[in-house]
Amino acid sequence: MDSKLMHVDTSTPLSLQPRGVKRFFRLLWKQRALVLMSVPFVIWLFVFRYVPIWGWVIAFQNFKPGKPFTEQQWAGLKHFAYMFNDERFWLTLRNTFVMSGINLVLGFLTAITLALMLNEVRHIVFKRVVQTVSYLPHFLSWVVAAGIVRAILDPDGIINEILLRLGLIDEKLLFLGVGEWFWPIYGAVIVWKEVGWNTIIYLAAMTMIDPSLYEAAEMDGAGRFRKMWHITLPGIRPVITVLLIMNIGYLLESGFEPQYLLGNGLNMRYSENLDIYVLRYGIEQFNYPLSVAASVFKTVVSFVLLFTANNIAKRLGETRLY
Amino acid sequence: MTRRRWLTAALSLVMVLALVLTACSGKKSNNSGGSDSGSANQGQQNSSNTNDSGSAPQDTVTFSMFVAVQGEKDFTLSESKIGKMIVDATGVDWKVEYLVGDMQTKIGTMIISGDYPDALVPDDGIEQVIEAGGFIDLTKYIESDEYPNVKKVYGPYKEKMKWSDGKIYILPFSVVMNEFVPDPNIGQGAFWMQRRVLEWAGFPKIKTVDQFFQVIEDFMKAHPDEDLIGFISLTDGWRFFATTNVPNHLAGYPNDGEVMVDMNTHEAKIYAGTEWEYRWFKKLNEINAKGMFDKASFTDNYDQYIAKLTSHKVLGFFDYGWQFMNAQEVLLDAARVNPEEDQYRYFPLPVVFDENIKDQYLDPPGFVANRGWGITVNAKDPDRIMKFIDYLLEEDVQKLVKWGIEGETYLVDENGRMYRTQEMVDMMTQQFREEYGFTAFDWDWPHYGNDSSFSDGNAVDANRQPEVFQLSLSEADKKFLDAYGVKTYSELFSKPDDRPWYPAWGIPRDEERTLFETQKAELQREYLPKLVFAKAEEYDAIWEEYVQKLNKLDVKGYEQWYTEKIREAVANSQ
Amino acid sequence: MAEMTIKETNHRRTGYRQSLGDRIFDVVNYTLLVLLMIVTLYPYLNTLAVSFNDAKDSIRGGIYLWPRIWTLENYKFVFENASIVQATWISVLRTVIGTVLTVFCSAMVAYTISRPEYVLRKFVTIAFILTMYINGGLIPNYLLIRELGLIGSFWVYIWPGLIGVFNLIVIRSFIENLPDNILESAKIDGAGDFRTFFSICLPLSTPVLATVALFTGVWQWNSWFDVFLYNSSYEHLSTLQYELQKTLQFSNATTKAVDFSAMQARSSSQVTPVAIRATMTIVASVPIIMVYPFLQKYFVKGMMVGGVKE
Repeated sequence: MDSKLMHVDTSTPLSLQPRGVKRFFRLLWKQRALVLMSVPFVIWLFVFRYVPIWGWVIAFQNFKPGKPFTEQQWAGLKHFAYMFNDERFWLTLRNTFVMSGINLVLGFLTAITLALMLNEVRHIVFKRVVQTVSYLPHFLSWVVAAGIVRAILDPDGIINEILLRLGLIDEKLLFLGVGEWFWPIYGAVIVWKEVGWNTIIYLAAMTMIDPSLYEAAEMDGAGRFRKMWHITLPGIRPVITVLLIMNIGYLLESGFEPQYLLGNGLNMRYSENLDIYVLRYGIEQFNYPLSVAASVFKTVVSFVLLFTANNIAKRLGETRLY
Repeated sequence: MTRRRWLTAALSLVMVLALVLTACSGKKSNNSGGSDSGSANQGQQNSSNTNDSGSAPQDTVTFSMFVAVQGEKDFTLSESKIGKMIVDATGVDWKVEYLVGDMQTKIGTMIISGDYPDALVPDDGIEQVIEAGGFIDLTKYIESDEYPNVKKVYGPYKEKMKWSDGKIYILPFSVVMNEFVPDPNIGQGAFWMQRRVLEWAGFPKIKTVDQFFQVIEDFMKAHPDEDLIGFISLTDGWRFFATTNVPNHLAGYPNDGEVMVDMNTHEAKIYAGTEWEYRWFKKLNEINAKGMFDKASFTDNYDQYIAKLTSHKVLGFFDYGWQFMNAQEVLLDAARVNPEEDQYRYFPLPVVFDENIKDQYLDPPGFVANRGWGITVNAKDPDRIMKFIDYLLEEDVQKLVKWGIEGETYLVDENGRMYRTQEMVDMMTQQFREEYGFTAFDWDWPHYGNDSSFSDGNAVDANRQPEVFQLSLSEADKKFLDAYGVKTYSELFSKPDDRPWYPAWGIPRDEERTLFETQKAELQREYLPKLVFAKAEEYDAIWEEYVQKLNKLDVKGYEQWYTEKIREAVANSQ
Repeated sequence: MAEMTIKETNHRRTGYRQSLGDRIFDVVNYTLLVLLMIVTLYPYLNTLAVSFNDAKDSIRGGIYLWPRIWTLENYKFVFENASIVQATWISVLRTVIGTVLTVFCSAMVAYTISRPEYVLRKFVTIAFILTMYINGGLIPNYLLIRELGLIGSFWVYIWPGLIGVFNLIVIRSFIENLPDNILESAKIDGAGDFRTFFSICLPLSTPVLATVALFTGVWQWNSWFDVFLYNSSYEHLSTLQYELQKTLQFSNATTKAVDFSAMQARSSSQVTPVAIRATMTIVASVPIIMVYPFLQKYFVKGMMVGGVKE
């Protein structure tokens, strides 16, 4: 069943086959429709995505805006050295990884679970209402969302109230004032805000599953959980895998606003991530090269992560990105 | 296959929309061509050919200006009443655009692309624009008799306005003309106490920190059921300075930024890590132990802080008046409706550490050299722009833009004093101010600073005119002011000593200095809450650790740099 | 051409016996979903309440599900902005044009890189994937847009974000999961790639295309940074979100004024950021949220790709 659902690439690159160049061009001509459908966009890609990469040289300069490019002073690896020797950089890097990790794991688990739960709802109207309501928080800006989170976690907020009433605590807690609690709070907030939105793609994937598979399983007497486990999940597995690989590459992008808006002096050792570091020591200082250096660093790490994840997927015989 | 129809429909929709768009954007550019091209300058257009319509008798030129400050609406000068008068008189109109997003980004792209408007108010981005050569040198205009008003207003400050390369790039906003007029309100720093506490305690004279907290403590003990908050502090983001600046003020220094400047030696010392800071946070530590300090001070954001100030529960705090004006307004509105509520408003107090310290909360007449208005290298006709500015700086024109038109927005009594009736004061809604043109001129042009007066003795800023200020006081206000034997709030405070360098934070800093400030602030963000929450016996150990980390930063370099700059400023002023 | 029937069915068939376990599962499932709804509906209702509450009163906090002092002033203030109608029109235009073009172009490229026989497949795929994490930075991007003459143009909202790698890969993985024989049999019947793409691939991928359309549409609708960066001086190209940002910042007054009196003059208006933020959230999100229920039919229906005759 799996092999049928997943398209595993088995063809050897044709350009490497005998009679090389000539055959390649003949094939190219034969596939001119495909070429026409893709090459213009590769040109687009080159212009809008590859051309601006020249900006990376700024990371190696003492860049002063307004001066012509040729008059810029070279700085070698100075900005990288500053970053790597800065204790705060490593701290924020750790926080970035942890929070992205939380985001990744929780994000996937909750979204897939919610998609499965929704998929089991037979009442169409109810299902639609839940879907629509659950993705509403996605449309709140982080400023608004953080304001609501703060109100809830306030010493006079509802959570303290409930805990006090239940007798679980004796005095009101300052949730955002304890560094170690920041990560769980962050995780909960992210899930609350994005779970409905993240579910959409899995629901779309589930519609692609051939209903006859469920019918066949029912014939065999499979129960609900077995159908979920053996049909629904494998059905959306390629999508999960591809999304997972891409998101692993994004591990250094843990977002910026929730950490910034919920952070404070008491939890800063846990809440500040790389983006906040770049904001404080790059952008706010008009230290443009440092921002670029951080961006270059992030890109390199992203690729390492992406290649690793893709290779692991390859070893496991899963769908790959490329 | 119905799906294909969906696709066809979608595709044709795009085509139609694309056509509509082309058509309508074409129309748009025709429409706006006349008035718009001044602002739509990407540096190449010559603005003098914008006046194609020939509607104005003389050739009206439209210049563009960008203000890198958020919070105001874009406008065209000729759209408001006063603006129109000035445009008619000068033949110069302006399209003014305000910042919407992030200042660094906007200024950054402007510098990189060279797409400057004709005039620019760069706010914080000033050093970057100057370094990139974005501004033209204005020295000749300040020295020339062809621009008599510019010379009159800025001439005396010429030396202070010079950039490190000896040229003058911006016209600052804070020049004082004629007599200095203090703000009768407390817009700057002060300790604030809820009015009912003062009244309950019989309007005591409060001078020291200990007295301040004693009154609050007594009040709390007398009202045990009210769930009161003795003291809170604002710590959110960049507003954190409302927490870190306190020891400086308590020691009897004005807000010079990060440093205290010795009046005799002119030596600059940071106050972080000093005995003063130790004392203040030790005090907060004690207050916290007594349950009087609001622990959430260190986690609340600005909105929560303001909400608390309007909750009637907070008895005391330190802040700058302008920073919690929202809260002041809400409390004032409530008191207007129901005079009973006046007791929840706050009263400013000049608190210091010890009896023998003279408070210096009020700003001395200052000169902020790194905020102002400049002409960019893209400006088509700098001479004409400066002619306009020269006109604007005429005393009668300044009266027009600050006070309006006699008989409409102000009156003059037999002694030549300008005043407003209650009716006129009430008329000043935001909408009126916009349509009349007050908002267009309230800040972002070269102007007489708000501390100034006209040559006839009237205050430039209508709100500072005593006649106007007295109108704004309620019965309750008068009761409190009478109890302390003063006529204005600022009379409660000591007169500011002369500090020619003031404000030190207005001295443009270099990269190393700004980096130091960031690092220092980060350290304080982490350690100050620890100090406040520590057990009494652990306080000293945490303090040691904090000072040790602080000393790893380049404190010496920072202080030396500032001392030098301040001594320069002092030398220039003599 | 082979006879193909594409039959839509509902995932779930009705009328089969429910076991006890099924019932318990349903109860738990429905309960959890209702709880989720409460948790996710609250913030929105709260925002709605604040938007209808007196602006100055709102800064005292403590508003939950119902306004304390009812008012329409906040909405008046937002809609007072003269350019908001024009800006909404531009927002609609960029959302519709941007979404349709993005979905169409992404699908086309995705189709080509899903064809195993395509000689440039690897090249195109990797060329796109490489750009996933690369960002040249603000300055080079700005200069590029300037060189291309896109500043002051509507198309600056469309071209730079035309194809997102994320969307591309998602669509590709869906196409790859279509039963092989469908695309193959079209080939055998002599259908060219264009025809296969238009008449088989596109219709069969509706759920994923609807997903991508939603992602893109929301992104386009919410964007304001590109307006800020490239078109802030071109009033006729302003968008709803950008105008709302202006309104918000106007209510926020300035934060770094050096003089109290300047501050006083600036913030003497009757609005507050708390209220305006809530109001603009509602104004900006209601139109785009309305779109979702229309797209939902593509997520609840399953598709059966029926018998392919050879």
